[in-house]
Amino acid sequence: MLGDIVGKKLKKDLSTAVNKPREWRAELEYTIEGIQRGIIDPKDVAKTVLSTLAVFAFVFVLLLPVYWILMIALQGEGATLYSTDSAGLVPTEFNLEAFIWVIGDIAIPAKVVGISIPFLGEFFLSWPRIVFFDSSPYVDSTSNFPRYFVNSMVVGFFTVVIALSVVIPASYALSRRQFAGRMKLLYGYILFTQVGGGLGIAGLIALYTIFVSFGVANNRLVLAVYYAALAVPFNTWLLKTYMDSIPVSYEEAAIMDGASPFRVAWEVVLPLAKPGLATILIFIFLTGWMEFIVAQLVLRPENYTLPVGLFMLVDTYSVPWGQFSAFALVYASPIVFVYLFAQRYIEAGLSFGGVEG
Amino acid sequence: MERNGAGLLVLPGLLLFSIFMFFPLAYTFYLSLTNAEPTNVFAGDGLRGDEEFVFTEVLGLQLPIANYVDVLSDPAFWNSIGVTWLFVVASVGLKVAFGIALAMVLTSDRIRGKRYLRSIVIIPWALPPIFTITIWSGVFSSARFGLANQFLIWLGFAPQAFFTDRWLAFTTYLITEMWLAYPFMVIITVSALQAVPEELIDAAKVDGAGYFSRFRAVTAPAIKRPVMFAGILTAAASFQQFLIPYVFNRGGPGRDNELIILYGYREAFNFNQYGAGAAIMLTAVLFIAMFMLVAVWKGDLAEGVSN
Repeated sequence: MLGDIVGKKLKKDLSTAVNKPREWRAELEYTIEGIQRGIIDPKDVAKTVLSTLAVFAFVFVLLLPVYWILMIALQGEGATLYSTDSAGLVPTEFNLEAFIWVIGDIAIPAKVVGISIPFLGEFFLSWPRIVFFDSSPYVDSTSNFPRYFVNSMVVGFFTVVIALSVVIPASYALSRRQFAGRMKLLYGYILFTQVGGGLGIAGLIALYTIFVSFGVANNRLVLAVYYAALAVPFNTWLLKTYMDSIPVSYEEAAIMDGASPFRVAWEVVLPLAKPGLATILIFIFLTGWMEFIVAQLVLRPENYTLPVGLFMLVDTYSVPWGQFSAFALVYASPIVFVYLFAQRYIEAGLSFGGVEG
Repeated sequence: MERNGAGLLVLPGLLLFSIFMFFPLAYTFYLSLTNAEPTNVFAGDGLRGDEEFVFTEVLGLQLPIANYVDVLSDPAFWNSIGVTWLFVVASVGLKVAFGIALAMVLTSDRIRGKRYLRSIVIIPWALPPIFTITIWSGVFSSARFGLANQFLIWLGFAPQAFFTDRWLAFTTYLITEMWLAYPFMVIITVSALQAVPEELIDAAKVDGAGYFSRFRAVTAPAIKRPVMFAGILTAAASFQQFLIPYVFNRGGPGRDNELIILYGYREAFNFNQYGAGAAIMLTAVLFIAMFMLVAVWKGDLAEGVSN
């Protein structure tokens, strides 16, 4: 479902990107012709060009920290630690050491799998370690990134499953039905999207004590349930806003055909809400993917998620900036792509037309 | 009954959210009345450890509020509250002003490629906070290679040790908070600006209104409510800022810049005073709750969702 939607969007974005230069050229030709004929004032054009350039320069300066970290990462493992001059904005040397350190060997681990078939006995299936890429010629050691990645994926998977199972029915009810306290709940949820994180931290001492007292502190599944709970207000609201844009007439048609309310929801509304579902799925997953404070308090090193692993890299007196940068970029870059896709929905959701209703 | 039946669909989510949000807060209240610390609170089975209520005499009555009395009479607590409010006021002003200015630029007719710029500009929002905040701690690194120091040297100034001076450190918090939060303001302001009717602006132009009077008379009233709503939410977020001081210098130098949540966190987990920490956290929650109540009530925000 998700792949389908992302694929469609990718195709659309790609075709826009391919067609853009042609549009630009047409616009440019039109402008030049206009100036030659004297319809368009050259001063006006110059103003537009200059202000556009100025804004681009300003945006570049604004995002300088991100560019800086990219440049540091591209200079290899220890570049910035030992030679301060190499950490400038225009690096002289490039190497991918730091990225290789993060990813490590790319391999399928060796494994023995036992399969027992009744009456025939037990069979063992084994394969050796299959290496696609061996990092040892390039770096002395590798990071714990793969392990943290697996932990984050485990937490993310359960967060998504648990949260979706409570968010979907709730947003359907909020979008399509009237019931006592509906507006109050919705309004509370909107407030909690911003305040919730802080209340979570305020309850941190109690939360930690509760987790430890029940012996579930270092448990990835419990952490996933917690993240799912955190994700409820924002995502319920976002999906509700999305469902509001699906015409009620489709449902009425289904009801006329004698469909039960459950079938209407399951077979009419949900399929139409696919893009909204994809968006909240991503957001819910990111709740766990990005959360740091609770994770670093309750998890032990073997269960560290990526943000905690990232922070542990810098929590020393000498920060290995080269390694940190590469680790951080590999960890964060998928999120940026996801956001660029989901941006339309976020903008639509946060335009405060969404608050009303 | 049938009418409210749909409410049942909302309950599982509400229940899940409440268990992890309100139950810990209730338990925080209980802990704040006790002498809880790791040695006694984890001693028993389940939630009831060996911690005991700590009493203090108020008006001849023995009340279990010793932690609150201690916390409220501690100058360090009031320093933390003061720094936190200063941080909220200064950072909200910066965020709102910068967000609106950037949003105005990114919707201006003079700029080409606005859609792309808007996508790029909100990137800080997309990056995990622990990642961006750590980058900023590197930017303000006291070493020569820190970006801020490279810039100072380029301008001809001496490099600074940003985190060892109180107000310099506080300024770095402000800059970072502004950078982290402006995308939210930009998104909201941009969508509000796009809803401003073109005809109104044109009419004002015909009437001969200049840029600033146009902004004051037409644009500002139209975007006021969304921006106010976002401002209030962002103020609440500032009040709860934890990661910036924690990552930069643990709220230092000394304990000068510990914003309130970090102050409670450090009392609990660095000094093992769970009871006192809980009292601080609850006091902070009380402050946020009061702020939100006044803001929502005074700002008439409930109206926005009243249909």
